[in-house]
Amino acid sequence: MLPPELLFLFDLMAMFATYLILNLSLGLEFGFGGIPNFGKVLFVAGGAYLVGGFTGRFASALVGISGLDFMKNNSLVIFMINERLSSDLLLSLTIFVPSILLALVVGAVLGYIASLPAIRLREDYLSMTLLSAGEVVRVFGHNYEGLVGGSLGVQVPDPLMWAGEYRFALASLIMLGFAMLVWAYVDRVGKSPLGRTLRAIRDNETAAEALGKNVTQFRMRTLVVSSAIAALAGALYAFYTCGVVATTYSRMWWTFWPWLMVMLGGASNSTGIFVGSLVSATVIKVINLYKSHLAPLLPFDVIWAESMLLGMTMIVMLIRRPEGIFPEKPQVTSGGSVGATTRNETTPSWRVV
Amino acid sequence: MLDPLMRDALLYGNLLSLMSLGLTLTYITSKVPNFAHGSFVSVGSYVTLGIASIMGLNPYLSLPVAFLVGGLSATCVYAFAIRPIARRGGSLVHLMMATLAAEAVFSGLVNAFADFSQETFKVFSRSFTLRSLDFTFLGDPGVLVSSYILCIILLGSLYLLLTKTRFGVAMRATVENPSLASVLGVNADLVYSVSWFVSGGLAGVSGALLPLWIQTSPGTGTTYLLSIFCASVLGGLGSMLGAVAGGLMLGIGEIVVTGYLVNLLGFWVIPYRPVIPLVIMSLTLLLAPEGITGVLAGQARRRA
Repeated sequence: MLPPELLFLFDLMAMFATYLILNLSLGLEFGFGGIPNFGKVLFVAGGAYLVGGFTGRFASALVGISGLDFMKNNSLVIFMINERLSSDLLLSLTIFVPSILLALVVGAVLGYIASLPAIRLREDYLSMTLLSAGEVVRVFGHNYEGLVGGSLGVQVPDPLMWAGEYRFALASLIMLGFAMLVWAYVDRVGKSPLGRTLRAIRDNETAAEALGKNVTQFRMRTLVVSSAIAALAGALYAFYTCGVVATTYSRMWWTFWPWLMVMLGGASNSTGIFVGSLVSATVIKVINLYKSHLAPLLPFDVIWAESMLLGMTMIVMLIRRPEGIFPEKPQVTSGGSVGATTRNETTPSWRVV
Repeated sequence: MLDPLMRDALLYGNLLSLMSLGLTLTYITSKVPNFAHGSFVSVGSYVTLGIASIMGLNPYLSLPVAFLVGGLSATCVYAFAIRPIARRGGSLVHLMMATLAAEAVFSGLVNAFADFSQETFKVFSRSFTLRSLDFTFLGDPGVLVSSYILCIILLGSLYLLLTKTRFGVAMRATVENPSLASVLGVNADLVYSVSWFVSGGLAGVSGALLPLWIQTSPGTGTTYLLSIFCASVLGGLGSMLGAVAGGLMLGIGEIVVTGYLVNLLGFWVIPYRPVIPLVIMSLTLLLAPEGITGVLAGQARRRA
């Protein structure tokens, strides 16, 4: 058995990886594109609900379980699937890979649908629509039992059963791998012509439009891609925790925290998002560790104190340092092929505010 | 006695029109959609819990207190979050984020109060109603009549404030052109503070009446946020009259459509009610983003 300190570290790593993926997607749409997505929870839940509702059924069809209702006999079905998965690496992969791909598709489709009503309008309309859509997703998860088992939740087959006691360690490492891939992607986008176009749209929509950029198209595509990435975070988290419970997909955890982390580090650069996610994930884990010590001192549940504290932290941050620990720097273009002289020329001497 | 469905619809329409009026009021003055508006409704509901359940007084006594507490809560959000951020040149997204953060603070406070009163005073503080404390009027619950009277009084006094007083004229001037109004000696900051106070007060009062008929929990106000947004957008988001009309229309429509669907499909549709405002809001934004008032104004312009 791994020592508890090490398990804590791996758990922290998994949480960090989940939030890093999510925050990078927020950085892509808000930091670069200026899209205020206050409905992140919608897309995270989309990915998680897919894993909850689809993966188990898919696996039970592959394993050949019949005569059992997937939702009513959920524990038994998942137990039987996991028995098979513990010795079958290929089957595990056959379950995991399509689930992840489908989660990306679900996220992208949700992003497209959610962007339709207000993508052409001002950012306040867009944020109101996205926030409202994020509230409605919980209604579906909570009440439609065929999706993720309603209020009881649903278990998810574990594609890492074969790893035995190293399961959580391996899962954390795989998630970190995914996070690094997303990090490399967002970092690259940020330094590419696409990233500069998005910043141009963010900073001056009219000027970007005058230069022939289709603002609506760019916004829509950004939202689609970042929503797919957010759904990836939700799907990985569902696999990691081996279950989906609709009530855990709340605005606090999957919209507010990501915004807090991104604002803390700095929304417009991948370094800021990395640091913001790492600091916040550590804070969350440490709070969880000491929560039980605080409980007897308060006449109410500790989570409400946490909620108040988070809100106030956010407001103080917005007043004191809205640009985060790492403010946006003058941009560097990617690729040595551009050459040293051109690189210097293209780097603007003024600061991008 | 009214048909039960109609009774629910009218009551909800009244309360929703007060709530969306408050949202629109802060939107037209400080140009930020207030995501914390729903939590002021919850604050009002728990003022009623405190006065009626804990202190044992008549629940209607909570109305002025809820107005005051809701108003002060909103003024705090303005003074400690919106104003400092706006002064430092924060963007619209930063302001919206600040109201979302304020929502977290207030929902934490209301939940903490609910836990505290349950522990200390042994009152039901979650999913509670105070229907038994209400009076009846011609077989209808008293809250229906009183919400009507309250609506008329509040709308009337707001109308008088905005049109007949010097301060009201200054308020409207600030909405039209803040810098010009400031040049002419209007204290814009005071105008903003007052509009936030009135907005929070309206939310608080409508929240105070909620538990007299509807099961109320700390999260109830936040779940109404969707309907409040939808009602304001439906009304045009720039017009107070539109907000009242939008609130009445959506409030009545939401209940009637849900009731109709229950008859048609069964009781399982009830939890999906929040889908209705989302769909109506999306349709409004797609077809007529300027809302009812915008459409009416457009027609009037074409006729002229």
